[in-house]
Amino acid sequence: MANLFSNFKSSLYKNYGENPGKMLVHTGVLGWILSSLAQVSAVVFNDKISPEQKSFLIPQEIADAGINIASFYLITSSFKNVASKLVSTGKLTTKGIKNALSKEDLKKIGKLDFNIGDLKNVPEGYKPFKNGVDVIASTIGSIISCNIVTPILRNQYASKKQKQALERMHNTQLAAPRGISMAQYQKLSSIKYSSGLKV
Amino acid sequence: MASNMKIQSSSPSFQGGISSALRSAKQRAMNAVPDMELSGNTNWINKAGEKISSAEQRLILGASALMSQPFIDAHNRNVDEKTRKVSVARTIAKIIAGTATGFAIRKGCIKAIKAMSQPRGANVPKWKSFFTPKDITKTNTDAFMQYRNAMGTVVALLVMMFTNFLIDAPLTKFLTNALIKKQEDAKGGNNG
Repeated sequence: MANLFSNFKSSLYKNYGENPGKMLVHTGVLGWILSSLAQVSAVVFNDKISPEQKSFLIPQEIADAGINIASFYLITSSFKNVASKLVSTGKLTTKGIKNALSKEDLKKIGKLDFNIGDLKNVPEGYKPFKNGVDVIASTIGSIISCNIVTPILRNQYASKKQKQALERMHNTQLAAPRGISMAQYQKLSSIKYSSGLKV
Repeated sequence: MASNMKIQSSSPSFQGGISSALRSAKQRAMNAVPDMELSGNTNWINKAGEKISSAEQRLILGASALMSQPFIDAHNRNVDEKTRKVSVARTIAKIIAGTATGFAIRKGCIKAIKAMSQPRGANVPKWKSFFTPKDITKTNTDAFMQYRNAMGTVVALLVMMFTNFLIDAPLTKFLTNALIKKQEDAKGGNNG
């Protein structure tokens, strides 16, 4: 157990010590997963919801979680990876870093194989600049995914699910959870899916 | 015929062809991007890498969420007006509660990890180096500071598994009700 914890600490240090942008993306995804787990377990352990309704609501919660996690990961990691590539190939650089490159290296700027971080003499200021660009890019990616793309996708998904629930209700007389009316239940369900934020 | 095609599609030459085409597309995209050389003071970019941990990122996300999410919910034409208003109130409440607890817990955990990840030594109590990875002698390097942020964030996420139920949910409910009441009072005032 102690060994496992020691390996975990070393792995965190090795993977994220030099790469804060990657850490923000990965912990962001972990945050979404834990937040989604909380949402799913809130349905699983809610004894006011009948087993029939759980069989409908749990997959719905999981699908909602899938939208949140996938859009966050795809958008944020894409922003971070593109920014990272622009810096490592020298497309996006500072005067100081460019001046420190040799004539041969300057010819390789923009080539996919070229990585300033792999050079024998990495220019001073390259690593902090790359870390800064990574963090800014992943923050912008998070804002776009969490605050624009995900709410729009979730609203569309919510209205689709609401329509399906209404059709199902007409066909099978789906009952609302104990203690509330079907109209209240529909309204709550619609509100739940039209707003959300990660932990 | 079908099985032949399957063999062809999974053959190394086919995969090599796809990866070569992808690489060529990536290179073309890269060539289309102009060279960008930042002049002047670029220290703020370096500082962003050092200072923006998951806690600050959560604060930035929350502040920007307040500017975009209520607007998106207010323009959701798929639900009736009353639902839309409650939805906006709940979104605002959720952002305020989530951002406040998310920022405070992340910041607190990162600070706690900092106190508990000191370099090992004869005069250092064991608990003060509980989170220090082995073979670490210097704690003032960029890599080690980022490690503290990462470990603090992981611990914060575990803590938030509980606070999500204990703090976020009741606080969101309280704020939602307060905002709805405010909306209704304003409406009553206008009608009166």
